[in-house]
Amino acid sequence: MADVEFEKIKRPENIKLPFMLDFYPLEDEKNTRISQFFANLKKGRLTTTKCQQCSKSLWPPRIVCPNCLSDKLEWADLGVEGELYAFTETKLGAPLGFVQDAPFCIGIVKIGGLLISARIDNAKYEDLKIGEKVKLKIVELEDGRIFYRFRRIN
Amino acid sequence: MRKVAVIGGGATKCGKREATWRELVQEAGKAMFDNVDNISPKDVEALLVGAAQPERFAFQVHVAPMVAEHLGIIPRKVISTTELMCASGQAAIRYAWACIASGIADVAVAFGVEKMYMPDMAEAQTNMACVLDREWDGVNAMSAPPFFAMTAQRHMHEFGTTKEQMALVSVKNHHYSTMNPIAQFQKEVTLEKALQSPMVAPPLNLFDCSGITDGAAGVIMVPAEDAKKYTDSPMWITGSGQANIGNAINNLASFTEWVPLKMAVKEALRTAKISVNEIDIAELHDCFTISEIMEYEALGLCEKGRGGKFIEDGGPYIGGKIAVNPRGGLLGCGHPLGATAILQTFDILQQFRGEVPKGRHVKDGNVAVAHNLSGAANVHSLMVYARG
Ligand SMILES: CC(C)(COP(=O)(O)OP(=O)(O)OC[C@H]1O[C@@H](n2cnc3c(N)ncnc32)[C@H](O)[C@@H]1OP(=O)(O)O)[C@@H](O)C(=O)NCCC(=O)NCCS
Ligand SMILES: [Zn+2]
Repeated sequence: MADVEFEKIKRPENIKLPFMLDFYPLEDEKNTRISQFFANLKKGRLTTTKCQQCSKSLWPPRIVCPNCLSDKLEWADLGVEGELYAFTETKLGAPLGFVQDAPFCIGIVKIGGLLISARIDNAKYEDLKIGEKVKLKIVELEDGRIFYRFRRIN
Repeated sequence: MRKVAVIGGGATKCGKREATWRELVQEAGKAMFDNVDNISPKDVEALLVGAAQPERFAFQVHVAPMVAEHLGIIPRKVISTTELMCASGQAAIRYAWACIASGIADVAVAFGVEKMYMPDMAEAQTNMACVLDREWDGVNAMSAPPFFAMTAQRHMHEFGTTKEQMALVSVKNHHYSTMNPIAQFQKEVTLEKALQSPMVAPPLNLFDCSGITDGAAGVIMVPAEDAKKYTDSPMWITGSGQANIGNAINNLASFTEWVPLKMAVKEALRTAKISVNEIDIAELHDCFTISEIMEYEALGLCEKGRGGKFIEDGGPYIGGKIAVNPRGGLLGCGHPLGATAILQTFDILQQFRGEVPKGRHVKDGNVAVAHNLSGAANVHSLMVYARG
């Protein structure tokens, strides 16, 4: 053994979930110009931006319409009931932060004329059917942020 | 525009490698330069490096200069990383081609590399879930397997495609990859084994999915008139097509018809001045079995909705209507994101040169296409190659 110094160094055992591993968006008005979406969601309303110039309903919510480039957008309700267009169940390959939930269902929900992706709660893959009705559900994170999901009605 | 030649290439073995990102680069780079006579790294004027997520998989950015440093390349005309997720390598090929065709550079390297195995594989899956719209799709854990599972579900629902038909794609590509010494998976897969493999995201089983893969590869391009200085058997780039519509899942033009693929195919055939019947080899992006089935349809190899029947009838085998993925595909060879397109291109060159094992050699193959999709299949990229 050569005559050199060996020293054990320490690093923190636990670190707060870093931003780069957090899938949920920053929701308040200090961080985003679509904070209204989350404020509406807090009241149980799923909304999105609709272009006042070309009337196109835009998902996800935006600040400029990609169809006509207008920035005159208004909030419109999508409703709380949708229809399953496609679905699956994540059994293997769940990302960090979702591993503890697996297996869980996810799908594409037809709602307010849009097709949007979402977690489908209260369901097993075998029970679901294309065309089945699903209802809006809202989940709250520990830090107060919220997000939408859908759930099986029956 | 100048006509462009691919004059050689090299690749690493793909799979779960006991090697770091930069070691993969060195292995593939050495193999590439060893493959071509009369060229040295100092001759390379343009270097394009396809790398999808080095900042997440290897915690390193500014990677094109890193490749240059490790291979002794001193780029004087163009240097950049190219990112287009699963098509990142093809982006490198397209820009290298443009550098030569335009006259900006006289020697260009299109390189590709990805190190995907991580100590905690859930972290690798996290990376794969920020490809679609992270805040609106990824947040729902929407990564590639669930997206393609739903695509398969819709295709089964609308056209009656079966799980057996999808599994046949896996059987075919794993068969060819048994004859590819650099493939990740080199064991035959039977229909029964494919159908009984663990469920990933129904209706997709493990063998319906390409894997998580480490690998790197590179190819060298020069103007066609210079090709004979380096090789008697160059490969010409004769056409290309690329199209994109949207990114997030909700913005798809359709789930069961890849509209941008049809656009890209049309443009590739137009620029190469060929019809689809003239293609001998098609390296199609089989990230999942359903992808290859939908690609038969979009290429016009069969009627819409009949892709499952097309493989049942032996259409995409060597000796069938067209040889699809005689390399072994992504399903058999693995899918090291940034390297995949380069691996396809190098294999086509070796096909033309008769350097691949007999059992997967397409005899008298003169025209080939290489295709990659990326994201929620909303970008499609194609290159057309011809034997020189
Ligand atoms: C499908 C997936 C989730 C499976 O991940 P996993 O559960 O961690 O599975 P592993 O990688 O540990 O593989 C399990 C076993 O099956 C084998 N295997 C995996 N895929 C295989 C394939 N296509 N063919 C043959 N064997 C395969 C592995 O070698 C491993 O064998 P071992 O246990 O003997 O080592 C993962 O491979 C994946 O995410 N694939 C898709 C990658 C992707 O999204 N690419 C972008 C496409 S657009
Ligand atoms: Zn508008």
